[in-house]
Amino acid sequence: MTESPLPAVLLEAVRRDLRPVRPLAPPWRRALAVAPLAVLLLMGQPLLWQWRSNLDALGGPVSWGLSVLQSAAGLALIGAALREAVPGRRLPGAALLLALGGGLALVLGVTLFTAHVLPTVMPPGVAWRFWWECYGMAVLAGLPAMAVAAALSARLLAGRPAVAGALYGLGAGLMTDAGVRLFCWVTEPAHVIAAHGGAVLTFAALGAAASAVLERMKA
Amino acid sequence: MEDVSAHAGDEERELARLMVAYQGGELAAFEAIYAALAPALHGYLLALSRDGSVAQDLVQDTFFEMHRSRRTYLPPLPVRPWAFGIARNVHRRHRRAAARRARHEDAGVDVSSDRRRPAAPPGLQAHDIEDAVRRLPPSRREAWRLHHVHGFSFAEIARLLQIQLSAAKLRSSRAMTTLRALLGAGRRTRP
Repeated sequence: MTESPLPAVLLEAVRRDLRPVRPLAPPWRRALAVAPLAVLLLMGQPLLWQWRSNLDALGGPVSWGLSVLQSAAGLALIGAALREAVPGRRLPGAALLLALGGGLALVLGVTLFTAHVLPTVMPPGVAWRFWWECYGMAVLAGLPAMAVAAALSARLLAGRPAVAGALYGLGAGLMTDAGVRLFCWVTEPAHVIAAHGGAVLTFAALGAAASAVLERMKA
Repeated sequence: MEDVSAHAGDEERELARLMVAYQGGELAAFEAIYAALAPALHGYLLALSRDGSVAQDLVQDTFFEMHRSRRTYLPPLPVRPWAFGIARNVHRRHRRAAARRARHEDAGVDVSSDRRRPAAPPGLQAHDIEDAVRRLPPSRREAWRLHHVHGFSFAEIARLLQIQLSAAKLRSSRAMTTLRALLGAGRRTRP
């Protein structure tokens, strides 16, 4: 028998911990772990606070339809983040651009389309309060979803942790906004972009920062 | 050209088969993966670090990390991109740790006061320390190197080497004691 070319300490470490392991599920299936939270964010926020007063006027496809679309896009982004975090499986540049740009474009598109279908005007003197309510509630409500996505991603070894984090943060932001827009009756783009879009961007930034910090803590 | 790509495809398929066996707990599969990938990883890490001994250490760290993260390999995907992705990560961590050490040294701070890194006694040369480290027993040298050179915490070392936390601390501490003795003795023999 020939001598093993492995360093002895490495061989010994591997030998001592050679229990069989099951490969992780594909990223899309792991992203489904966040699906219950997506449903909770979609239904729970308006149930907890109140349904938007003009829900009926908005119609099912524009209210529920677009929110479900946003939730699904959020889950897809978390799936993309979990793929990005696997060594050697980083997203190509075009796919990354499509994912990040598409997520932001979806929020903008949904905002403008909803305002077009049912224009509303912000009552005077409440703009700041409304901004804070929507922004603050969204950030608070979405943190658990982002924490779960961060935990799923941190088990891997992202080559670009900030990118993976931005993806799952954006995903959590989209899922959160899907519920917030069923609560907030205002469709004025200035409010929706600043408060709802601001929360989505905050999640993307928080995700990028959290992922980078978690990676450094592992190092 | 077709022969080359067909050969590469066969090699990848064989590596993927070995990875599945390794995930299933076969030591021989890990040895075969090491034999197949270590030279290429060494070349890659040498190109990144431009230092032969650092590259050798990083190859070993890469295989440690591959072992810890073997669940993240998803069959039947190619093994090489996965392994090289891990190697890139290991190199990035090493570079970050080295930069952190350099910053601390520039600031005149002991590299890691909480890790009781020894100050080099005056009159000692770098090769004296390297010689002394090489003379340490392998298990102690590894624990010492992982902690003091690569900046792993004792908890991480315990996980990595599959030993108790106290054993990781003890190995590192005994290595340090031996190093002090070796370096002290070496210094006395010099004029």
